[in-house]
Amino acid sequence: MLGPGVAWYLGVAAFLFGTGALGVIVRRNPIIVLLSLEIMLNGGNLALIAVARHAGNGAGQIFALAVMAVAASEVCVGLGLVVAINRKRLDLDIDKLSELRG
Amino acid sequence: MTTGAWLCLFAPLLGAVLILLGGTRIPRVVAGWISTTSVFVAFAGALWSFFALRAASGHIGRISSAWTWVQAGNFKVGLSVLVDPLSTMMMLIVAGVGGLIVLYSIGYMDGDDEERRYFAYISFFVFSMLLLVEGGNLLLLLVGWGLVGLSSYLLIGFWHDRPSAVAAAKKAFVMNAIGDATMALAFFVLIAHSHSLEFGASFATAGQLSPTAVNLVALGLLGGAAAKSAQIPLHTWLPDAMEGPTPVSALIHAATMVTAGVYLIARTHPIFEQARTVELVAAGMGTLTLVVAGLIALVQTDIKRVIAYSTMSQIGYMFLGAGVGAYANGMFHLMTHAFFKALLFMTAGVVIHALAGEQDIRKMRGIGALMPWTRWAFLAGALALVGVPPFSGFFSKDSIIAAALHDHWYGVVMAIAALFGAFLTGLYTFRLYFIVFPGEPSAFVREHHHAHHGKEGPLTMLVPVGILAVLAVIGGWIQLSPFWHPLTTWLEPAARTLGVAVPTNTQEAIASVAAVLLGLAGIGVAYGLYGTDRLVVPKLPAVQRALEHKLYFDEAYDALFYRPAAAFATWVRRDFEEPVILATGPDLGEGTLELGEGVRRLQTGLLRTYVLFLGTGVAIVGVVFMAVR
Repeated sequence: MLGPGVAWYLGVAAFLFGTGALGVIVRRNPIIVLLSLEIMLNGGNLALIAVARHAGNGAGQIFALAVMAVAASEVCVGLGLVVAINRKRLDLDIDKLSELRG
Repeated sequence: MTTGAWLCLFAPLLGAVLILLGGTRIPRVVAGWISTTSVFVAFAGALWSFFALRAASGHIGRISSAWTWVQAGNFKVGLSVLVDPLSTMMMLIVAGVGGLIVLYSIGYMDGDDEERRYFAYISFFVFSMLLLVEGGNLLLLLVGWGLVGLSSYLLIGFWHDRPSAVAAAKKAFVMNAIGDATMALAFFVLIAHSHSLEFGASFATAGQLSPTAVNLVALGLLGGAAAKSAQIPLHTWLPDAMEGPTPVSALIHAATMVTAGVYLIARTHPIFEQARTVELVAAGMGTLTLVVAGLIALVQTDIKRVIAYSTMSQIGYMFLGAGVGAYANGMFHLMTHAFFKALLFMTAGVVIHALAGEQDIRKMRGIGALMPWTRWAFLAGALALVGVPPFSGFFSKDSIIAAALHDHWYGVVMAIAALFGAFLTGLYTFRLYFIVFPGEPSAFVREHHHAHHGKEGPLTMLVPVGILAVLAVIGGWIQLSPFWHPLTTWLEPAARTLGVAVPTNTQEAIASVAAVLLGLAGIGVAYGLYGTDRLVVPKLPAVQRALEHKLYFDEAYDALFYRPAAAFATWVRRDFEEPVILATGPDLGEGTLELGEGVRRLQTGLLRTYVLFLGTGVAIVGVVFMAVR
């Protein structure tokens, strides 16, 4: 097998996932949060595909395809929410959407 | 042959379901006719099975299974019906007499508020009893047994706005539940030893059981039989069950329910024969009941209660017959009793109906002058009950006494008690007859009697009474032991009479002559006491009070079971529930509230904290899994 070993791929995947998670936690703009989520998902995808190739098994790739479908639908819902927030003339700041506080 | 049996089993259930689903969409009268038709269809099915079985060689019986109903390991029970001489005989009695009673109900219940409910229940009752007698294994028998208890509860408490009816229904249910429980325990013992509740397999293993086990099984079965058939000491529900509508009393007493105990003994006789002592206990129990019930019947003043005690007494005869091993004689008496007891209840119902619900015999004097046909029908039933030849009771009762006579010294004791019972039967039956029917109509009767379109009752009531009056007269002619015994022959493959219970011709003659003479003596004494004033009722206040209190059985059970239970419950409430449960309840609630206040802070409403908690949780779980590996 050519190219770097599976550990490298997993390293990159972990880096992507960490970047995304950090973005979700620290950013307040919902669009950026959605972007960060996409990065997390893609980190997961990369890990799935890398391990699938390493194991010589196609199942991981199928999983990745499923994750992409989920990501697409999630973006639809997320962007829909963003549009809805904008229509209500609210700030695009998720910390201000805290009405579920106990 | 089994098609008829399935038809017989499910027609009444279908009738009940139709009335239930129809609800108020079907007129009341139609509900009654649906019910009647369904039971008569069942009777047709029973006839079909009967003739098919007769045509089959040897008529041993056949089991037809629809599907496997319960399966657990190697224990398996199917939903199956059994067609054999015993079950077809019961099917004919239950569906035939039951059908006449349901037909009679159309007239009797006319105008009641909830006729539809009544007819749905009564069809269901017939179905339950048919399941009991047709069930192809002991479990189905127990299911039918329980359903009979349930439907009797529903029907005894039919007039649910009367507190006494509700109490009577509850009593019947509780008493029957005791019997159901002992029967279930007996079945558990059987399953533990034979891994089966099929009749054949369980009876085959009965012979290999240890004496203790087989005695336990037989005792459990006897408990069930005694509760259902109202034998001492589980009899107290039967007189109270008179709170139900009169046709229900007729159904419970003649065709269904109380006869189930006798059927059970005949059906499971291979087990009882392995536990001969228990079987003789059953005979003794029957003897005791027949005498005690006869004595109590002497002082009752409610027309239905007198007949109810006479049922207890006659079931006592059947237990005596089945207990000494003369199963066919017990079943024969069951059949004739179904005829004449249904007849007596129905004629009593006609009288009650004409007097707008009055049941006190002291107010009914002279009703016979206004209702001559009812009077003759009642007289036929009464003569059959006393056992005067050639009425049906003569043939069946005397053969039981004769069978008992053959069984050692205790058989002789029981036969003598049964002869005394025959005297009592004559006395209490004709006390009822002479008080109610002859003579000039009393003022009460003249005032309250209302004729039904110039007749004694609606046609739906009079036709069944007529049919049963004929059956009560000629029903016993199918067997006159020792000369002519087709019934015993018919039942032989299912329940062969034990050798010790076959009397000699001399014994037959002695029993018959003695029973008839004593019965006639009872009638004579009753005539002297109540028909004319030539004799005076002896004044025995203590005895009379004891009998009017039904020998204090209710009071004894009250003191033995109800009061300790109630006292215990009061104690538990005062010393446990109030200080422990009621006191800790509020504390628990307040604690939960405070906890909630604390946890509330965790809900910040900020997405980022939730993500953080989630992430931390996943991390902790991950670390734990790795550490554990």
